Amino acid sequence: MIRALLNVAGPEAARLLQRNLIGLGAEGLLMGLGFALLVPVLAALFANDTADASIWLAAMAGVLVIYAGVRYRSQLAGYMAAIGLGRGLFSRLGNHVAELPLGWFGPERVGQVGRLTSQGVIDVIGVPAHLLRPVITAFVTPATVIALMFVFDWRLALAALITAPIAALVYRWTGNLVQRTDHRTDAAAAEAAGRVVEFAQNQAVLRAFGRSTEGYDLLDNALKEQRDAGRVQIMTAVPGFAAFVLVVQFAFTIVLLFGTSLALGGSIDVPELLALLVLAVRYVEPLVMAADLGGALRIGRNSLARMDTLMATEPLPEPTASAVMAGAGIAFEQVGFAYDTRPVLTDVSFTVPAGKMTALVGPSGSGKTTVIRLAARFWDVNAGVVRVAGTDVRKIKTEDLMARLSMVFQDVYLFDGTIEDNIRMGRPEAGEDEVRQAARLARVDEIADRLPDGYASKVGEGGAALSGGERQRVSIARAILKDAPIVLLDEATAALDPENEAAVQDALRALTADRTLLVVAHRLQTVQSADQIIVLDEGTVAEQGSHPELMAKGGRYAAFWRERSRAEGWRLAPDRLAPTDPSNTHRAGA
Amino acid sequence: MQGALTTDRHSVAKPSKAKKASLGSLLAPVRGVLIVACLLQAVSAIAGVAPFIAVAELGRVLLAEGPIDSGHAWTIAIIGAAALVVRLVFMMAAGGLTHLADLDFQLNLRRRMAAHLGRVPLGWFTERNAGQVKKALQDDVSALHHLVGHAFTNMVSAAVTPLVSLIYLLWIDWRLTLVAIVPLLLGMGFLYAVQMRGYREKMAAYNKSLERVNSASVEFVQGIAVVKTFGQARKAYQRFLDETQRFMDYFWEWVRGLLKISAASEVVLSPLFSLVVVLGGGIWFVSQGWVAPVDVLPFAILGLGFTAPFLTIGYAQNDMMMAQQAAKRINELLDAPTLPDKETGRVPDGARVVYEGVRFSYDDRVDVLQDIDLDLAPGTVTALVGPSGSGKTTIAKLLPRFWDPTGGCITLGGVPIDELPSSELYRRVGFVFQDVQLLHASIAANIALGRPDATTEQIAAAARAAQIDERVAALPRGYDSVVGDDAKLSGGEAQRVSIARAILADAPILVLDEATAFADPESEAAIQDALSTLAAGRTLLVIAHRLHTIVSADQICVVDKGRIVERGSHAALLEQGGLYARMWAASERALSWRPSGPEAAATGSEAAQ
Repeated sequence: MIRALLNVAGPEAARLLQRNLIGLGAEGLLMGLGFALLVPVLAALFANDTADASIWLAAMAGVLVIYAGVRYRSQLAGYMAAIGLGRGLFSRLGNHVAELPLGWFGPERVGQVGRLTSQGVIDVIGVPAHLLRPVITAFVTPATVIALMFVFDWRLALAALITAPIAALVYRWTGNLVQRTDHRTDAAAAEAAGRVVEFAQNQAVLRAFGRSTEGYDLLDNALKEQRDAGRVQIMTAVPGFAAFVLVVQFAFTIVLLFGTSLALGGSIDVPELLALLVLAVRYVEPLVMAADLGGALRIGRNSLARMDTLMATEPLPEPTASAVMAGAGIAFEQVGFAYDTRPVLTDVSFTVPAGKMTALVGPSGSGKTTVIRLAARFWDVNAGVVRVAGTDVRKIKTEDLMARLSMVFQDVYLFDGTIEDNIRMGRPEAGEDEVRQAARLARVDEIADRLPDGYASKVGEGGAALSGGERQRVSIARAILKDAPIVLLDEATAALDPENEAAVQDALRALTADRTLLVVAHRLQTVQSADQIIVLDEGTVAEQGSHPELMAKGGRYAAFWRERSRAEGWRLAPDRLAPTDPSNTHRAGA
Repeated sequence: MQGALTTDRHSVAKPSKAKKASLGSLLAPVRGVLIVACLLQAVSAIAGVAPFIAVAELGRVLLAEGPIDSGHAWTIAIIGAAALVVRLVFMMAAGGLTHLADLDFQLNLRRRMAAHLGRVPLGWFTERNAGQVKKALQDDVSALHHLVGHAFTNMVSAAVTPLVSLIYLLWIDWRLTLVAIVPLLLGMGFLYAVQMRGYREKMAAYNKSLERVNSASVEFVQGIAVVKTFGQARKAYQRFLDETQRFMDYFWEWVRGLLKISAASEVVLSPLFSLVVVLGGGIWFVSQGWVAPVDVLPFAILGLGFTAPFLTIGYAQNDMMMAQQAAKRINELLDAPTLPDKETGRVPDGARVVYEGVRFSYDDRVDVLQDIDLDLAPGTVTALVGPSGSGKTTIAKLLPRFWDPTGGCITLGGVPIDELPSSELYRRVGFVFQDVQLLHASIAANIALGRPDATTEQIAAAARAAQIDERVAALPRGYDSVVGDDAKLSGGEAQRVSIARAILADAPILVLDEATAFADPESEAAIQDALSTLAAGRTLLVIAHRLHTIVSADQICVVDKGRIVERGSHAALLEQGGLYARMWAASERALSWRPSGPEAAATGSEAAQ
């Protein structure tokens, strides 16, 4: 753990951390030495020699003063190390995250990393700030006391020490026992949490089907299992813990009984024995304290491990300068791509001519979205080349590549600023009238007119104050302002009300005019009007051509078109269905 | 400051009476067990002091003038050793008791919460996400663990141990006892000084700063993809960096200001300081002849223990505060108003649904719906259309009692729906909405949710009617495949399973979100066929988005700003030339849209200007 801390700390914080560690060791030693001085103080006192006792006490007070000084310094070093560690971690993690490829940021990752770059860092810096002291002194102080006991009476010291290995063994044994039951409790807790989420999410359905009032078995069983797993754990842990405490107590019992017999046999000085007994009762306490801090330490350690994993994620290699680019076309040449080991695209080749519209169609999972993401270099391909403006995307600097592309995807993210801020993001140096023009083209002006603060209205975190269609319009305005020659579009599948849908389409029309357009198409009108259609199936190009060509071919595309046309003409209740309908016969039977 | 990076530990939270009461009421079921456990713990704490006293008494025997009474010495030593065993047994009994009680307590509390959630309006869930419910039911209930399992017994130990020590020491010598509590008083003084230096305000400012770090971090990570596509990754990163550096600055400034005083208080509370004070006092008293040397021994042993409870009380306070916050959230959940139960035993006559002057408001201030009158004759189709935010979905969701109307009345077969037991209501009113809801259970169990007694044939028939039987048959374990495990369904497939469920449940009245039909473009046609089957022969209330799917509805109600503004058949409404006619025109235009049609060129040249 300490090595891991030193690794992530950076040179300066590492030096402070080392100083802190040395200070903590010294603290523990001084505390142990102070305790040990109890032996001569008491010996002198019981001999009724208060002058001698005072001298030893003065020595003890001297140790205390040094201890206070050392403690102050090591505390200071601990905080300084924590601060240095925090600054370094925040900036290094932030820097690294900013460089990771776009494809890396899935919704799950975003949550995890968001926690890691805030609470995770706090957890880690809590280790030098608060946790190292009690843990380190808990071991150093008793060790010092025992070592010094040897100076006074080796037999008692040995008696005190003899249980230490047993205690360590029992501690480990208990830990293993509990760990084994941990699996069951963890699994039970996960299952119960899942069932609770399900219970909440499916409340409407559960009720509609009469499953809420008399209790929902799947949830109740999971809750019961959680209780039972907890019981098993306690039944296992209690005897183990009792054994541990018993062994630790045994150390004191041995010293007490053995010391008594030594004293009665006259082979030890009574004052010395009494002082050593005082030490013995104090020596186990810090150890028990340290055990309590295990949880907080584990949290810090887990955060550290996650940071290590994050830092080990490689950013995509970045060229120092972009190769020469020409035109606004896109080309895929024998592209192969796999997420981890799952192949998504194999041997995909096609070109998207500049200024034309190319539509991608195919069943879900066929790789349409992956294609447009590869064009924006969300990831690097495993085989072949993706070219934008005639150049391998790997030879273009990220900024230059992004400058050529506008992306309008389904999951729109807006920043917690004003509408204007969000549009201006497309081109920060744009003038006021340019921003307004883009807003007007994307019909964001209507949204701004409706809101009390106009363009200065806040959109809320992630754009929560706007409806889905409105968010899309803002994101399109942003792309219009950016004015990139190539547009990558993932057509929305979600339902918008007719007016919003018309507005979004007006906005898209303004964005895509005269530009190279690569679109994942869901609407038949979009597909039909494309200059070129690429039909994907299971990660390969199945058919390619214009609408009339592909229809004439009578293949996969033609079948797709027939099916979708039927869907488009669907009426919920055109004529009440004839009694041949299966559900009717079923109902008659029921 | 000790807790600055973890949690607020020293700031003495003064919970309001109400909060205390809420925690108290939650703990009521385990109060008896907790009291017994605390008594056991008290015995354990007393037994825990005994060995210390034994050492002191042993010293008295061994140092006594004349020959040592070895029998007495052995008795004391053995009592001391035996007391340790007593302490252990009682400690384990108390701990085991509280932990077992805690498990039952958690189970009962979770059951109570789940049962309560089964009775709150469905709308309650749409205002919250499942994560919040999970947090309350799992995390918040677990947060009470430390309180039930540890905090009370720890507090008893923390109080009893010094108290017994104090009594014993007072009995030895009351003057030296006063000296022994000096470190405790000094420590309290220092902590008071820390509090006086605006600890609470600083803690609040610290928490604010931490919140800013959290939100900057979330925004940074969530937005990074967008920011990068606009070539401004540096800028967003800078904001995150500024916020985090500001936080570290604040933390440093705070810590530095308190470092000396807090280090001093911790030194004063350390056992070494107590030892020096007690021995100093002891030597002085002995030199003055006020006490015998052997009387100093008990102070050297027990005097060190006075400052220890400080830590325990600090931790317990922290636990108490966390538990209180958790209890507050739990109580909020348990206090959520449930749907009033006015069952009268009246049985609906027929399946006619009537809305009469229905008014609805989420917050009792702004009406979302006003004067809604609707008559759904059995076997007819009624479509609700209107701009988003008009209230059409709310009207539909009042029928399955997502919420109850604020005014007016909804009747089913002449009986107000809030007088029907929910099982009766939901036997008659089914619904299919856009968000697919499948359980982590077998496909068969999912389809048979509303009719657990359904036969395999009936389940298969429903699946067939919903166009999903072939897909299910292709699964590794067929109908026994578990959703999410070996049945990985696409959105459209899951939608069809939920339609099969509604078909099997066979409610005569159906509330339907038409958007369901195109939730998944890839299997649109199959979903539509399934919906057509489901809809056949039922009374339908449809929330419609695509106007052309409902042109043949028996009645179309146009909703705008919470009122029904137009009503009639498609043809009649078109003729009227109002909102519906305008919406129809817009939707026709949207249908004919092409990304680079002739119109596009015109708009494009506009863009270039």
